[in-house]
Amino acid sequence: MEKIIEIKNVNKGYMLGEENVPVLKDVNFTVEKGEFVAILGPSGSGKTTLMNIIGCMDVLDSGEYYLNGRAIHDTKEKYLTEVRNKDIGFIFQNYQLIPTYNVMQNIMMPLLMRGMSHKEARNQCMEIVKLLGIDHRLEHKPNELSGGQKQRVSIARALASEPAVLLADEPTGALDSSSGQEVLKLFKKLNEMGNTIVMITHDLNVAQNAKRIVHIVDGVLSEA
Amino acid sequence: MRITELLRLVFINLMQNKFKVILTSVGIIVGSATIMLVFAIGTGGQMEVAEQFKNLNAGAIDITYEGSASSFNMEDFAAMEGGIPDMGSMPDMSSMPGGGASFGGSSERGGSRGGGFSMGGFGGGRGNSSRDDRNKVVLTTEDIEEIETFVPGIADSTISYTTTASVEGGELEEAGSYTIAGVKSNYREMSNLTMAIGEFLTDENDENKEKYCVLGATVAKEIFGSAYDAYDNIVYIDGRPYVVNGVLSEMGSVSSGISPDTAIFIPYETGIKYITGSDISPTVTVIAENVDDVDTIMTNIETVLADSYSNASFSISDAGTKMEAASKSNDTLQLLLIAMAAIVFIVGGIGIMNVLFVSVKERTNEIGILKALGCKKRDILMEFLFEACFMSFIGSILGVLISLGITPIIESFGVRVELSVSGAVLSLAFGVITGTLFGFYPAFKASRLIPVVALNQE
Repeated sequence: MEKIIEIKNVNKGYMLGEENVPVLKDVNFTVEKGEFVAILGPSGSGKTTLMNIIGCMDVLDSGEYYLNGRAIHDTKEKYLTEVRNKDIGFIFQNYQLIPTYNVMQNIMMPLLMRGMSHKEARNQCMEIVKLLGIDHRLEHKPNELSGGQKQRVSIARALASEPAVLLADEPTGALDSSSGQEVLKLFKKLNEMGNTIVMITHDLNVAQNAKRIVHIVDGVLSEA
Repeated sequence: MRITELLRLVFINLMQNKFKVILTSVGIIVGSATIMLVFAIGTGGQMEVAEQFKNLNAGAIDITYEGSASSFNMEDFAAMEGGIPDMGSMPDMSSMPGGGASFGGSSERGGSRGGGFSMGGFGGGRGNSSRDDRNKVVLTTEDIEEIETFVPGIADSTISYTTTASVEGGELEEAGSYTIAGVKSNYREMSNLTMAIGEFLTDENDENKEKYCVLGATVAKEIFGSAYDAYDNIVYIDGRPYVVNGVLSEMGSVSSGISPDTAIFIPYETGIKYITGSDISPTVTVIAENVDDVDTIMTNIETVLADSYSNASFSISDAGTKMEAASKSNDTLQLLLIAMAAIVFIVGGIGIMNVLFVSVKERTNEIGILKALGCKKRDILMEFLFEACFMSFIGSILGVLISLGITPIIESFGVRVELSVSGAVLSLAFGVITGTLFGFYPAFKASRLIPVVALNQE
């Protein structure tokens, strides 16, 4: 199987005053294409830091990280921007939609950043929008939508850039249980369609929707 | 990101906050309105100067009697006691030198002149004798001849004086007071005056002291309604009828010499005979053949006059110097206004910068999202820069519009405002440049935000 994410002996710490507080300790983690992995851990366990590193938003102190075959630990910040745009599909707990832009503009954003024209981007997004059932809401602003709808918009945005991996951070954290269930069902469906998904959560019930669960406690990763 | 898509996003953002855009650009609005008006007032001032001097020959030199160089003597007393306080003797008092030496020197001269006075008084003569007998010097055609003889490089010369007299006739319901100019026939040519209708005064008119006149354009309109109606009609100056021999074209205002539009021109000698008597302060105007020689000619004229009138002082001025002085003061004004506009722009620019900083702070989360999604630093920089640019552009346009609205108010204060497209373009350019320059730093800051930090900031 093709390895999408390969993390080897990664360490990451933060300076707290004079002291270096280790957050990730010798983390080894591999995700293969088509997997649906949940990273389960309580708050403060370092799962957000791990997600930031996987999402190329933070740099590691030591170790190696390959994403889609590319050595991220050896890539300059300038190119990480490009990696984030092409290979990562972020799905955030609080959706992180831009309030001034409407649904369609939000979804197209990663494609526009790539240099696509408005028209091209729109065409490419239409299918996804229909798939997620938000095609009747395209002209609405995010604050006119329900939580479940917002999360679907955020998923659509992540899918639009056809990333190597969908990276979801507590995707159901801000949703009521029924919309949460729908989102998880959607994740399963997307995974069946061939998308690789890494989901970070503190909730075992949510994590159980994934095919594989890894635990993180105090910065140490272990397979379930 | 494509520039068109970037602009689309900028547009969406600006439309979202129309009110904020206006408020932000207030500084720029005021700044461009100022620049626009500065430019308009500056141009207006320049045009005014140009118009004032357009009828003036650059090589023209005006000579007028300023007063006696002597300070205090019997004649002045005699003149004042005799109830003849002529115009010439009044400035004498103010220009009196305080030095005791000069007092002594001049009183001696005054004494010797005293005799001359009584003799002159006996003779009751005019012209030459009056020149010797009285302190006041009246320049005459003889002085012109003298200057022309002894000063080389003079193309032409003339003599003229002005007075005011009551005028009746035409459509005037009651007598009005007008400027009457006594001139020679060559005055028209030397002052570059053009006739709307009829002819200018001739030498014969002057020699025979005929009662002919030529009206300025404004005068003709006021008295007769039009130049056409004025022509060949009759005006009464000091109760005597004068035939209107011609009417001048509108010449505009002039700062030096006689304002042709508002004057009535009559033959030199006619005026002396019927209106002023010998009590006039004529101006001799000579025109240099070569403008470069003006300074030399002025010095020479001074020498010649000093020779004829050892005791008198004359004001000798040339048009070029006057023009320079006028445009220089105009330049100073414009410089001052430009400095003011610059200050307004800096204040306006800082206003834009301030609001953009707040905006970057407000939109930190948005910037975080953009960065997480893979937006390049350059694109974020450009987005904020474009916003600053457009805000200041909108502000500049509003500023230009406002300046158009203010123009009538400024004009009502008597300031000439000459609006121009180049002024509008200039103020637009300045507005946009200022806004963009001051917008750069906040935009740069925004582009440098760290994604994780920005994303988690609420």
